[in-house]
Amino acid sequence: MTMKIYAYAVIDSSDKIKGPLSGTEGAGIYSIPYRDVGIAASDIIDECLFSSAVKDIGAGPAKDRALTHEKVIESLMENFTVLPFRCFTVFNGKEDVLSMAEKYYSGFKDNLERLYNKLEFGIKVIWPGDIIRERIMRSRGKNNGLTSISSPVKNFVKEKLERYNIDKEFEEEADRCIEAVDDLFSRFYVEKKLERLKTNKLLLSAFYLVDKEKEDDFKRLFEELKNSPGDLKYLFSGPWPPYNFIHLTPYPEKVFGAAQEMFDKGASAQRVERRLMRLRP
Amino acid sequence: MDDIFLESKDVTLLEILDRVLDKGVIISGDIVISLADVDLIYAGLRVLLSSVETMERLRGAPFASPMQEPG
Repeated sequence: MTMKIYAYAVIDSSDKIKGPLSGTEGAGIYSIPYRDVGIAASDIIDECLFSSAVKDIGAGPAKDRALTHEKVIESLMENFTVLPFRCFTVFNGKEDVLSMAEKYYSGFKDNLERLYNKLEFGIKVIWPGDIIRERIMRSRGKNNGLTSISSPVKNFVKEKLERYNIDKEFEEEADRCIEAVDDLFSRFYVEKKLERLKTNKLLLSAFYLVDKEKEDDFKRLFEELKNSPGDLKYLFSGPWPPYNFIHLTPYPEKVFGAAQEMFDKGASAQRVERRLMRLRP
Repeated sequence: MDDIFLESKDVTLLEILDRVLDKGVIISGDIVISLADVDLIYAGLRVLLSSVETMERLRGAPFASPMQEPG
């Protein structure tokens, strides 16, 4: 049995974590400081057991671990700005954690500053996709099937074109609804991530990043929206740690990307070098 | 405001799994112990996570009238 380190989140302080807080397998949470940030972590004894338990995430220990992971991060959120690690991020030892922290430090700092005092909320909008499509078909006079045309080729082309037009109208209707919902919340969010029509019924899965001061306004607005008449059904969740708003590029890739962009724009080697010096962690 | 959270609790497990398994700080490379299973599990869960039917089941009751065509 070897001791590994399970990482929960990057926090915006290198101070000790106050108060007893337990994580996976009941182990105590502590902070591994690196410069002015910390990695909230706990020790985990057997990675093999851990790995095999992952296989059944829907129930049992793996589900409990996923819930514990989230619970620890939510507790940390009360005192710190957090960048949650993906669940089951395990390191061999403290040296590897510090090595990772060195590699990603500038990215951690950028994200911690951008996400300071911010919360994530989720809104799902469900619509009766099949009914909407039927309505479109009816309004196009196509609910009784295609008018028969003597040529099978013409028939085929007409049918294809009609399907294309129905799909187009369906998409346009979806975009109108999404825009209306998104516009409503635009006063309160600073960043957003929208996923449209993941299924026929799931019109919108929206993630909004909101200032803590606007949390109540945001919730109030959702309540009004939820009670408004219409075909749409709304689901709300949050506040969450900002899982969907972490943009992290490790230092080597960041440097390579910046250099490539400058060379593409015709910058001299000296200018590229000066810029890269500024990007050093 | 409480009813918002009562309702949202019903889908909380899916929302949590969606986030903790696929989002946040994702470290790649040799430095992290590889748990490839996580990616496989998430790939399998992806359909489930985006399924309205799953949400309905977890809520314990189907979404009612909004799914029906207005008279």
